[in-house]
Amino acid sequence: MDFSYLDMWNETPGQEEGEAAVEGDRNVWMFAETVDGDLHPAALEGMGQARELADAIGVYAYGVLLGAENAQHAEALIAGGADRVLVAGDPLHPDQLVAYQPEIFTLALAALIKQYRPEIFLLPATDLGNDLAPRLAHHLSTGLISHCVKVEMDMAERLLVGTCPVLGGEVYHAFTIPLLRPQMATLEPGYYHSPVPSTSRTGEIQQVDLDLDSTAGRLTWSKNSTASETTPVRQKDKLRHARVVVAGGRGMGNEAGFALVRELAAALDASVAGSRGAFDQGWITEDEIVGVSGETIAPDLYIACGLSGEIYHTFSIQDARFIVAINTDQNAPIMKGANIALVADARQVIPGIIDAVKENRIVQSV
Amino acid sequence: MKPIIVLVKQILDPRGITVRRDKERVFINREDYIIDPGSLAAIEAAVQIKSLLNVEIAAISLGPPRAEDALREALALGCDAAYLLSDPAFEEADAAAAVRIITSAIRKIGGTDLILLGQKASDTCSGQMGPRLAEALDFLQVTGVSELTVEETALHAKRTWRNEQAAISSPLPAVVTIAAGAFPERLPHGARIMSAYRVWSVTVWDKDELDLEESDLAPGLVFRGESFPSPLPEGEILKGDPASLVHDLVAELRQHRIIQ
Repeated sequence: MDFSYLDMWNETPGQEEGEAAVEGDRNVWMFAETVDGDLHPAALEGMGQARELADAIGVYAYGVLLGAENAQHAEALIAGGADRVLVAGDPLHPDQLVAYQPEIFTLALAALIKQYRPEIFLLPATDLGNDLAPRLAHHLSTGLISHCVKVEMDMAERLLVGTCPVLGGEVYHAFTIPLLRPQMATLEPGYYHSPVPSTSRTGEIQQVDLDLDSTAGRLTWSKNSTASETTPVRQKDKLRHARVVVAGGRGMGNEAGFALVRELAAALDASVAGSRGAFDQGWITEDEIVGVSGETIAPDLYIACGLSGEIYHTFSIQDARFIVAINTDQNAPIMKGANIALVADARQVIPGIIDAVKENRIVQSV
Repeated sequence: MKPIIVLVKQILDPRGITVRRDKERVFINREDYIIDPGSLAAIEAAVQIKSLLNVEIAAISLGPPRAEDALREALALGCDAAYLLSDPAFEEADAAAAVRIITSAIRKIGGTDLILLGQKASDTCSGQMGPRLAEALDFLQVTGVSELTVEETALHAKRTWRNEQAAISSPLPAVVTIAAGAFPERLPHGARIMSAYRVWSVTVWDKDELDLEESDLAPGLVFRGESFPSPLPEGEILKGDPASLVHDLVAELRQHRIIQ
């Protein structure tokens, strides 16, 4: 029999020995993003996943904080599952890690990874993580599984298996990174439970000094610039932030039929939207199309009238909190995902709904 | 100024695809190929820059021979040159390998100061190309951009960052990825459509012409299998005459505390 796997077993650090973590191609790391001095919720979700993956293969879970001023969050990461927290800073150039800079963050994390060689490195699929992780992966010549909604270990091969949405989230594909290290993945926020913090957990906090005085290029950031205030709000932005959206499709029949959609929207103080089909008929403007560009909207209430809901449309409204669909075809895709599906010709029921909503008011927060 | 490079990805038109989560199957009803919406937005962004600066646009697509159609369309939309990177050996390329292929082509063209592409393609949804390309070329990167102005040596962009608008400036050279929904496409000019198909040419380069080795093309990511999200929860289905439907709907909305 082949007992070579026992060698691997022996190299695995025994946690009961209480010694410092054994380094080198073994541990599971989570990058803990901070936002204006607070820990990003996705950091703790990821810490919990790092803990589970580390337990599965008998190694240590690490939390990684960039910027010495973020050391205050180390305890929270330990309570959330970290055995050790690395706090990396540049004592000579403390400002380097304050604002996000793709090149400098890449260099900082790459320096840590080259020194400690984690087996798995997780980042959150946040705006920052999505910008940083692919760059870091390329810098390290390794693979990255992006936007994972599930991560688990294949114990037979000791490989990270990351599952990510493709085709607008309608299908999941699972990937592994068999040969390159570290195995990197970004975790989609909100798909993982935050670990229940345990203050009895103990862990080690380690400061790591980096020298980041590089010639790396820098972006200049400014939030809410005056320029953007003078920019007129595009219809698309209005739609993206609308609390209530009434949308119509080809099923409204003609321009007069679609006018009912606008009337209902007016009665609800809602934004008007429509399918690509409604646009093709000339009933809505380009900015009012939902479901062609892959962007999502997240209203509290979405009312779809005479609209079948092709794949992009249903994807675009997946974050809507409450969906009412009105369609003559009970089997239309939009009807499957709706909280309430009315099997009817929208043109016959909308006038009644308009009268009814005039007597009621929308609850402020659904 | 060196030409702006736009990456153009051709995808299967999602309007021809039905996914049945309950049957765990993807049905391709119609096999039509289109330019990915993100690439279209990147082309439009480049055309807007070209209208203000004296600069040419080179479109690059990595894909099978049929991706030539996407490049012809890119020419019709305002690009000045088109390069198709096509070789059976490219078919298994993941994001890292694709970046090695594309950087090789960019060097062969003579370099660039600005690369535009969609933030993430709507089929693979990975969003890795932009930042990987920036790292490979040692460029800066600005991702998910919704507004963009470009000067000779710098760019100014706006993007949504942590749910707020942020303005970001970057020196050139840089890679910019365009957010979904930004830069709505315009219809191509009729004369350009004719020229794109009859006059202008698409340069095709394969593995040897791009001086790539097998090792450059080996994917790091290995596909493990397909699965499906759980079917959407069945909502309340209401039937009946219009008046009773309205009544039932209002009752349901009250019950769910949507209205009061």
